Amino acid sequence: MASAYLDFIRIRFLTMLAYRVNYYSGIVIYAINIGAYYFMWKAIYGSAETLGGFTVAQMTTYIAVSWMARAFYFNNLDREISNEIRDGSVAVQMTRPISYLMVKMMQGLGEGVFRLLLLMVPGMIVVTFMFPVSLPTDPVRWVIFFVMIWFSFLINTQLNLMTGLFAFFVENNEGLMRMKRVLIDLLSGVILPMAFFPGWAQAALNWLPFPAITYLPSSVFTGRLAGGDVWNALAVQAIWFAVLIVPILLMWRAARRRLFVQGG
Amino acid sequence: MQQMIFNLSLFREYIANYMKTKLTYRADFWVEVFSDLMFSATNLIFIFVVFQHTPALGDWSEAEVVFVYGYFMIPYGIFSTFTNLWNFSERYIAKGEMDRILTRPAGSLTQVMLENVDPPSLIGSLIGLCIMGASWSQLGLAFHWYDPLVLIVMTLGSVLVYMGLYTALATISFYTDAPTGIAPLMYNIQNYGRYPIQIYNKGIRFLLTWLLPFAFVGVYPASFFLERHRDLVMAWLTPVMGVIFWAIGLWIWRRGVKRYRGAGS
Amino acid sequence: MLAIDVHQLRKQFKVQKNREGLKGAMLDLFKREHTEVMAVKDISFQIPQGEICGYIGENGAGKSTTIKMLTGILVPTSGRILVNGFVPHQEREQFVGSIGVVFGQRSQLWWDIGVIESFRLLRKVYKVDEADFKARLVELVETLQLGDLLNRPVRKLSLGQRMRCELVAALLHNPSILFLDEPTIGLDIVVKTEIREFLKRLNREYGTTILLTTHDLQDIEALCSRVIMLDDGRIIYDGGLEELKERWGKGREVQFQFTDPISLLDVSGLTSGFEGVRWTKENEVTAKVWIPRELNVSDVLSRVVGSAAEISDIKIFETNTDEIVREIYKTGSPEAKEQAKEAVRG
Repeated sequence: MASAYLDFIRIRFLTMLAYRVNYYSGIVIYAINIGAYYFMWKAIYGSAETLGGFTVAQMTTYIAVSWMARAFYFNNLDREISNEIRDGSVAVQMTRPISYLMVKMMQGLGEGVFRLLLLMVPGMIVVTFMFPVSLPTDPVRWVIFFVMIWFSFLINTQLNLMTGLFAFFVENNEGLMRMKRVLIDLLSGVILPMAFFPGWAQAALNWLPFPAITYLPSSVFTGRLAGGDVWNALAVQAIWFAVLIVPILLMWRAARRRLFVQGG
Repeated sequence: MQQMIFNLSLFREYIANYMKTKLTYRADFWVEVFSDLMFSATNLIFIFVVFQHTPALGDWSEAEVVFVYGYFMIPYGIFSTFTNLWNFSERYIAKGEMDRILTRPAGSLTQVMLENVDPPSLIGSLIGLCIMGASWSQLGLAFHWYDPLVLIVMTLGSVLVYMGLYTALATISFYTDAPTGIAPLMYNIQNYGRYPIQIYNKGIRFLLTWLLPFAFVGVYPASFFLERHRDLVMAWLTPVMGVIFWAIGLWIWRRGVKRYRGAGS
Repeated sequence: MLAIDVHQLRKQFKVQKNREGLKGAMLDLFKREHTEVMAVKDISFQIPQGEICGYIGENGAGKSTTIKMLTGILVPTSGRILVNGFVPHQEREQFVGSIGVVFGQRSQLWWDIGVIESFRLLRKVYKVDEADFKARLVELVETLQLGDLLNRPVRKLSLGQRMRCELVAALLHNPSILFLDEPTIGLDIVVKTEIREFLKRLNREYGTTILLTTHDLQDIEALCSRVIMLDDGRIIYDGGLEELKERWGKGREVQFQFTDPISLLDVSGLTSGFEGVRWTKENEVTAKVWIPRELNVSDVLSRVVGSAAEISDIKIFETNTDEIVREIYKTGSPEAKEQAKEAVRG
C-alpha cells in the first residue's frame, strides 16, 4: 500500500526528468526571478539601511531562500485535478483501491523532490556566488527549515487540492485557480515579506494560512525569527495543516456524493 | 487587403459564437473578470506597499511607477483578448485539434487566435487606462493633442511585441509535446517590463530590451508621456520592435506548422 | 481526371527514445536519443474522380498518416501528392476549400452552441454564398433528418446525431472530394446503415469522390468498389473488392450442428484425408469447417453427413471480407513481399 504511494512519487520524479526543456527553463525562471527581485529590492532600499526590520543582506537571503522554497512546495495539482474532473477520468481513478487525494499529493511530492534536488540545491549554490546571500551556520536551523518547508508543501498542496476539487461544484474553476495562485504569491511572502505590510494587514494575515507557506520558514532561515518564536512558527504551520484537513474531507465527501448521484 | 476583410468578417462570427457560448456560462464570465481584477490589484498592492517604505524606486516616484503600470495593463489586456494561447499545446497539439484547423480554408494562426478570443481581458485594458489617467493628473502632466494618437501607436507596438513572442513560444509545441515550462518563464519575465528599467543590472536590461523585449510593453513606451523620464529613442522603437517581433513570430509559426505531426496514429 | 494522385509518398517521424530507470532519465536530461520511424513507405496510387475507395489496414499501418498528408495536415517527408490539382501542404488554404473532411473521433463543431451556429460560421470560413448555403443546408438536413437537432448544442447530441451533423459540416461547401477517417466508429447499426446510404447517394448524385478509412469492413462491402490495403506503411493490395475476394477468399465455411456433444478430435477425424481442411468448435454441439477452394464442398459434406454423428442443422458461408483481411494480415501476401523488394530497388 505505502509502496504504491512511493511509486507515484518515483514515477512523477522520472516524468519530470523526461521533460528536460522544462527543467532548463525552470532553472532560468528561478535565476531571473531572484535576480530581478534582488535588483528591485536594491532600488527600493536605495540608501536606507533597514526597511521593515530587514537589512539588505537579510532581504537578499530572504528573496533567494523564498524562491528556492517555492520551488519545493509549488505544484499544479489544482489544474491537474480540475482537468481530471472535467474530462471524467477522476471517476476511473476513484475505482482504484487507493486514495485519489493521496495519489495527487504524492505526485506533487515527486515534483517537489525533483525540484529540491535538481533545482534548489544547484540553484542555491549559484545564487550564493552571485548575490550576497548569508546562510545560517547553525545546523539546527537548517533542520528546522527543512521541516518547515515540508509543512509549506503540505499546506500549499492542501490549498491546491481544495481549489482543484472546486471543479466538482462549478462549471469552470479557472478564475478561482488563477486567483489562488496570485494570492499565494502575494500573501505568502514570496514577493513581499509580511513585515512590509501595514499593521492592520499583518494582523489580518495572521488569520490566514498563506504566511505559513513562505514567510515563516524564510524568516526562520534568515534569522528574523529565533528562539521560542521558531517553535511558535512551526506550531502555526502544524495547526494550519491540521485545520485544512477538515474542509478537504468535507469537499471530498460532497464530491463523491455528487459523482454517485449524477453518474459523473 | 481582401484577406484582412475576410479575417475581420471571421472575427465578427467568432465573437458572436463566443457571446452565445458565454451566455450559457454567465457566472464564469464574471469570475474571470473578477480574477483578472484581483490580479491587477495585487500588483498595485505590491507597488503601494513598497512605496510605503521608500520615496522612490531608482528616481521614479510612486505615481510614475503606477503610471507605467497603468500603461502596461492596456496592451496586455488587448493581447490577452486576441492571443490567448496558454493551452495551445494541450488543446491543439496533444488533443490534435490542429487537424481540424488545418483542414479549413483560413489562416491557421488566425483560426487559433479567433477560437480563443477572450474579451473579458479587455476590462483590464480599460482599468489600465483609468489608472494611467489618474496618475496623469496626479503628476500634473501636460496633455497634447497628439498624446492619444501616440498612445494608440505605442499600444499597437506593445501588443505586437507580445503577440510575436507568444506566437513563437506556442510554435515550440509543434516540435515537442512535452511541457516546456517556457510560458510561465515568459510570463514571469514580462512582469519586470513594468518597472523602471534603470534599476536592473546590465544583463537583465539587455535581456528586457533586445532578447525578450518586455521593456517595450511597459516602461519604454510609457516614458514618452512622462516628461521627466522621456526617452524618445526607446519610446519610438516600440512600434518598430513590435513589427519586427511580430514578423519573427509569424515566420516561426509558418515553419512550425510544417512540422506538425498530428496526435495519435 | 484524377482526383488523387500519389507518387512514392513517404512520411518519417522522429521518435524520442526514453532510456530506462533513474540513470537513463538523468542521461536523457543532457543527451537525447532519437529513432526514425517510417509510418508511410513510398506508396503510390491514383484515384479517379467519382470513385469510392476504402483505405484499410490495422492500427498503425499508416492510414491516418496518409489521409493527413492528403488533406494538407501533415507535410510528407518525400514523394509527390496531387489532390484536385493541388499540392495539399503547399497551397493549403485554397486547397482545403475543395475538400471535405470528417474525423470520426474528433468534432468539427463548436461544443457549447447550437449546431446551426457552427454551420453558419463554417459558411463564413468556406466563403459559401448565402443562397447556396441555404439550399444546401435544406437538402442535407432533409436527407440526414436533422430537422429538430439544429438548435441543440453539440454536447447534447448523441454520437449518431453528432456524426450526421459532422457530415453536414463537411459538405456545406459542396466539396468534390470527401475524406472520412473512421466515419462509423462507435455508431449503432441503424446509424451506420443510414450513413452508408447517404454516402452512396452523395456519390451517385454529385459524383463526389470519397476516400474512407475504416475498421468496419461492412463499410467497405456496402460502399467501395475499390480497396487499398495497407500494412506496415506499404500497400499490400490495391484493386476491386470482388477481385480481393476472388484472390484470397480461397474457401468456404460450413457450420454443423450436432445433436450430441462432440469434440474437436472427433470431427477432425471425420475429414481425415482432405488436405487443408480446418475445424473450429463453436460450442458443445456446433463446429465449423473451413474448406479450401480446391476441394469440392459436397465431398466434404457427404463425408460428414455420412458419418455416425447425428446432425440437426447445416449452414454454408461464403468467406466474408473480414475473414479475408484477417487471413492476409496473418500470412502477409505475396504481393506485399514483391512490393517491398521493389521499394528497396527503387
